[in-house]
Amino acid sequence: MVDMPAQNPQRIVLPPHRERARRPRIVRFREWARRNLFNSRAGTLLTIITAAILALLIYGVVYFVFVDANWRVITENRWLLFAGGYPMDQEWRLWFSVMFVFLLIGLTYGTWASLGRRDHLFIVLASGFAVLLLAHGGAAIWSTIWYLIAVGLLYAGYAITIRMPREAGPGRTVQQRSVAGLLIAALPIVLIVLLAFGGARPRELEGFVLNLVLAPVGIAGGLILAIPLALGRASRMRAISWTCTTYIEVVRGAPLLGWLFVALFILDDVIGGELIVRAMVVLAVFTAAYMAEYIRGALQALPHGQSEAAHAVGLNQFQSMQLIVMPQALRISIPPMVGQAISIWKDTTLVTVILPLRELKGNADSAIAQFEFTPDRIEAYVFVAVIFWVVAFIMSRISQRVEGSLGIGER
Amino acid sequence: MKKLRFGLLAAAVVAIVALVAVACGDDDGDGGGEGRGDTVQTIKDRGELKCGVKQTQPLFGFREADGTVVGFDIEFCKALAAAVLKDHTKVEYIDASDASTRFELLAEEEIDVLIRTTTITASRDRELAVDFAQTTFYTGQGFAVRTDSGIDSTSDMGDAIICVQTGTTTEQNVADHFTDIGLEYDPQGGLSQDVADAFFSGRCDVLTADASDLASRIAVRDDAADYKILPQIISKEPLAPGVRDYDSEWKDVVNWVVHGLIRAEEIGITQANVAQMAANPPNTEVARLLGVPFQGGEVAALGFDSVDPQFIQRAIAAVGNYGEIYDRTIGDNIPRACTLNDLVINNSGCPDGQGGIQYALPYR
Repeated sequence: MVDMPAQNPQRIVLPPHRERARRPRIVRFREWARRNLFNSRAGTLLTIITAAILALLIYGVVYFVFVDANWRVITENRWLLFAGGYPMDQEWRLWFSVMFVFLLIGLTYGTWASLGRRDHLFIVLASGFAVLLLAHGGAAIWSTIWYLIAVGLLYAGYAITIRMPREAGPGRTVQQRSVAGLLIAALPIVLIVLLAFGGARPRELEGFVLNLVLAPVGIAGGLILAIPLALGRASRMRAISWTCTTYIEVVRGAPLLGWLFVALFILDDVIGGELIVRAMVVLAVFTAAYMAEYIRGALQALPHGQSEAAHAVGLNQFQSMQLIVMPQALRISIPPMVGQAISIWKDTTLVTVILPLRELKGNADSAIAQFEFTPDRIEAYVFVAVIFWVVAFIMSRISQRVEGSLGIGER
Repeated sequence: MKKLRFGLLAAAVVAIVALVAVACGDDDGDGGGEGRGDTVQTIKDRGELKCGVKQTQPLFGFREADGTVVGFDIEFCKALAAAVLKDHTKVEYIDASDASTRFELLAEEEIDVLIRTTTITASRDRELAVDFAQTTFYTGQGFAVRTDSGIDSTSDMGDAIICVQTGTTTEQNVADHFTDIGLEYDPQGGLSQDVADAFFSGRCDVLTADASDLASRIAVRDDAADYKILPQIISKEPLAPGVRDYDSEWKDVVNWVVHGLIRAEEIGITQANVAQMAANPPNTEVARLLGVPFQGGEVAALGFDSVDPQFIQRAIAAVGNYGEIYDRTIGDNIPRACTLNDLVINNSGCPDGQGGIQYALPYR
């Protein structure tokens, strides 16, 4: 029973969907609601029940966030949560890294994608959240200013690169190569800034900083190891394929928790060194086993014609791999790889469970051990969860953008 | 046939890997188990004490907002660093918050000493190859109830729901106790903070844990008056620093630093007056404890070859005597007067049946 508005005889009659679009929004909403929410007695009942549950949930969340919760446990402890034992007089190194990474995000977006309305909204919301957190206590003004400068750099980098021509040409190639080079060099640069030339000792990397260091090292190291592993497993030489298969099956056969025990008690004698380095090695080795399988899957998904055509035009084995096969295989394997990356991002919390390393969740445990904050544990964990979600969400958004610009799923 | 050969090859590879792993494990076993340890020298060579501490325990070991590790246990790490390395800041605090790996951290030499509210028990001493020094804090398992619950002792707890942390001596103690008094109860287990939450939200009638832990959890609440801790204590929980077995030299240093800090309180040496006492010792005992000559006599080294005679003096200068440590870190949150952690020499003013047991052995 959809009541149509009276037809105006003078007007050009549009197709039904255009006609609907011309009516005021509120009328359209009323129609939509009647069709979808109140289409029958049972439907109406269900709608009312769902709405009531939703309202209760929202009320509960709003009440907790704005009335019940004592967020001082977070604002007072923001240094402990984010940097922990990092030497406070070296704070500029952290801010430098943040600015560098933000600039890089801007450059990357400007080069390969564009910021949509939802991206802007997300940046504004996340920045509001960050400023809310930073604008407390002694050095509040400065940390807020540093953060805003970082956001400014993001937009500056974006503004510069988005104006450059997208058409293929020598300029475009230079632009793409330099941004890609910066992306590859980013992790070493950040690590050098944080640790070298009078910076912190590796074990002083703590809190959120530790998560932010461990996950990229695990992901990047894993990717680097995964490509030869995937090729090795597909190799026709038995010794190589057996070695790679054994590696993959052994590493995937045990949980990360177990491998972290190995880092603590066995790698100690094998490679020694700082615990954090051992943790990085384990994360990379673990990630590699999974990523190798995603790449192998992608290699198998590629039609044989691709490498045959490469040989036909005179490319040798290596060139065909580098120019024809690998670019396509890596592109196909992006979605599962990002899934693995998000998974390893969350798994970085395990280093506190097994190893005597303190990442964000571990330092949240320490914050609620402060006498006045012992009752505020839910606040601390909710905050940690939100932080993890925000980063995972960013990773997933970026991957969607990369997929979009590479045209995955469109062919 | 070909398949079989590859199977053999794989088996050989696995066997070699296993052998290597076992061999590495053995090396380690020799170092930590039978040979005589030399932790003091290791600490000196490294220039830093690796202290395994808890970072999630209110009052005893936690983190300040600026990231520094603080608490009652931490003060003893500083004292040891001052004693051995002459600098109380030369400590690397290794996180031993996880109860299940703390003894492995010690055995694997990731830490030099474990100071993390660890109870001395015979099995830990023997099976886990831990050597315990002098107890730094005495507590025992107690019970907290709501003030209006009408429960005054465990004999009133028939069929009560009791919240207890799983996998601890606490859980075993409460089971033993209720078997002994012949009552049924309904145990509700979980993590330390979870069971406390359950109790304060009314999901169980009784919360049992170390009495000091109960006191600190209740004291922090706005409605602290609604809860009470029963005077009844059903277990002994002496919390002490642990070191690896077969390393007497290091164990003796840890042990006598703790005794020295207690003795300092007994005879009135404080962080404020220790320098003046050392410059001008009032008697032979003070001179001996602080490692200085008395009226032009000899300095008594007492055979502590690996550290110089002033090691206790430096510990006191760094953190103060035992009482000062207690007041600074725990203070009124767990009252000390006439409880187990009070000095024996203060007991004359205490009600019958109460009083301290902190008592320094003679340093001579």
